[in-house]
Amino acid sequence: MTLAELARPAQDYSYAFLDEFAKREVRRRILKAIAIPGHQVPYASRELPIARGWGTGGLQVTLSIAGPHDIVKVIDQGADDSVNAVNLRRFIARMTGVATTSDAQLATIIQSRHRITEERLREGQVLVLQVPDPEPLRAVEPNISLAREMHADADYALMWLGLYEQVVRFGTFMTGASYPVVVHQRYLMSPSPIPRWDTPMLHQAAHLTLLSAGREKRLYAVPPYTDVRPIEFEDVFFQVENQQGRICEQSGAVNKFMNEIPQPDGSMCYQASDTGYVEKLVRRARGEPVAIGATYYDDDGTFYHPGYLKEQEPDHR
Amino acid sequence: MYVAAKGGERAIQQAEQLFRELNGTFDATFVRLIERHMPYLIDRVMGEGSLYAPELAALALAQTGGDLYEAVLLLRAYRSTQPRLAYAEPLDEAHTFTVRRISAAFKDIPGGQYLGPTLDYSHRLLHLDVLDGRDSAPASPDGATGDPIDKTGAADLPFDPHPPALTDWHRRYGLLAPLPDLPPHDPASVPDVTRDPIHFPAPRAHRLQSLARADTGGVLALGYASMRGYGMIHPTVNEVRLGYADVRLRHPVSGALFSAGRVRVCQGEVVTPAGSGSDAHPSTNGAAPPAALNPGFTATIGWNEVKVIAGAMLDLEMEAANAHPAHREEFVLYHTEAVEASGFCIHFKLPHYVTFNSSLDAIRRAYAAVQQAEPQ
Repeated sequence: MTLAELARPAQDYSYAFLDEFAKREVRRRILKAIAIPGHQVPYASRELPIARGWGTGGLQVTLSIAGPHDIVKVIDQGADDSVNAVNLRRFIARMTGVATTSDAQLATIIQSRHRITEERLREGQVLVLQVPDPEPLRAVEPNISLAREMHADADYALMWLGLYEQVVRFGTFMTGASYPVVVHQRYLMSPSPIPRWDTPMLHQAAHLTLLSAGREKRLYAVPPYTDVRPIEFEDVFFQVENQQGRICEQSGAVNKFMNEIPQPDGSMCYQASDTGYVEKLVRRARGEPVAIGATYYDDDGTFYHPGYLKEQEPDHR
Repeated sequence: MYVAAKGGERAIQQAEQLFRELNGTFDATFVRLIERHMPYLIDRVMGEGSLYAPELAALALAQTGGDLYEAVLLLRAYRSTQPRLAYAEPLDEAHTFTVRRISAAFKDIPGGQYLGPTLDYSHRLLHLDVLDGRDSAPASPDGATGDPIDKTGAADLPFDPHPPALTDWHRRYGLLAPLPDLPPHDPASVPDVTRDPIHFPAPRAHRLQSLARADTGGVLALGYASMRGYGMIHPTVNEVRLGYADVRLRHPVSGALFSAGRVRVCQGEVVTPAGSGSDAHPSTNGAAPPAALNPGFTATIGWNEVKVIAGAMLDLEMEAANAHPAHREEFVLYHTEAVEASGFCIHFKLPHYVTFNSSLDAIRRAYAAVQQAEPQ
């Protein structure tokens, strides 16, 4: 008998890639994160066969919660067919045997880089957001030990000061994506670099949102039906990206988050960023039977929680 | 275009295929050649990959065409799949076969200095004659063959492969603080940076583990900044050691200690007079008189002298009272993490059009606000 005969084959990975101890740790941290909405929970964060910073945080969560009966959708910047989304999806499917879909309604787990679907998610669905930088205070305090203390004290004064300075200098809030929010009236949270268009979708949502930063080793959660409020003033309001007058050239959709595509002639063409949604609109236009769920914003651009988004008076200065 | 409708899957398969075609195929023989002939490269990949597996490190290098960061990531990712089966006993001088040991602090030290295998005093001349077909092996002094030690020729003095630590001598004379009286050591209780998230100030174990797997280039850059003028400036290298350490495990049934194999290890140790450089005006806390010297230490698997010397300097800096911001613990440990730093750097290649679009919207709002404030 040789040593080679005794050894197990080198080609051998456990279910969902991570060893069971690693998955158990992630699941425990998730439970803690759900119990303290918006609070960043540190975790060990194993290396995965995907480069760090390419979705390894979201991937560890998805791999830890997925079972063989799950249906997984993966999107990157809204697109199911973006190369990195494709790569993560085939890795998840390869390691867990889950079915995959581009239909937000069919998915049980949606892993996303920086978009939430236009169709409303429902109870029982899990949205896993990939997070590059979990710390909303980073811009005002790069040292994470000090930032942790500020969270403990709910000391967010520097954030309000920054917001005020933006209004004074530029006449408007200048934050693009990753607009900071307060969760359950307590923790300041980065919603990950989703556009402001998506930020309200986290508020009193039916689904569970798990946010995970693999490189920075922090995960946090927004449980279903939890208050999520962007920071704003009583007289200067949070504003989503203006989608007025934009029509998706592929599907005819309006008042959805649009990609701007510059044209050689200097004009701009628009495509709805949520490709799963576009696909269904196109199929419906062809006369195919397709179930399209209610969207967070209707075709007039009205958000489904009345009064949550406030129209800014033009002379607020 | 890298977001092509339905084209993503095919595009990434073809891109990988193109990489493989361009760089050629390889087999197990080639992997063995790398393992045999590129030991320092293997050591670096194993050290930063945090996994002692020369064969897998060679495979990783072959598979990535020598892209160091990719090779390190391969090892780290493989490591994630491996359960922790046992804890080895701590390494010590008695169970490490030292082959190179130098100190800059004294002309000679207890146990002796020996250069061992090094290129330090070689002339850095390309051996161009190898290209003309000559063998690269240097002529051996007495024509011996076989074992590399025999080939080199015997030393004049007997060689002790287990010399004592030079810090023992410093401690005897009160130059370094005495070692704490530790309770019997339980390896499983040592904080493990691969299993626990790191908090700052970090446990010493986390700091040394982070340095052990840190990016060599990153540690060198920050360490060099300290040496060159932003910190301690010129600590003394107390001891640099290269050796082969026995990985000693306790048998699960009999409890007997046995060696599961030998690994290449190295360690660097520097000292600096307390209160010098960035350590000026330290707080003394009114405790016992401070020791005369402060030590800095780094060890890693594999032989990597640049990293352990620069790392030891950074260890000193991280303890200093007034270290430059780039030499503080959180800064050093976060920014020398090879896999995280390289991964985040290359992630900027990913599409960011949603976030960019969101910023454009904010800029347009600001323009509109300006135009409104300054009527034409």
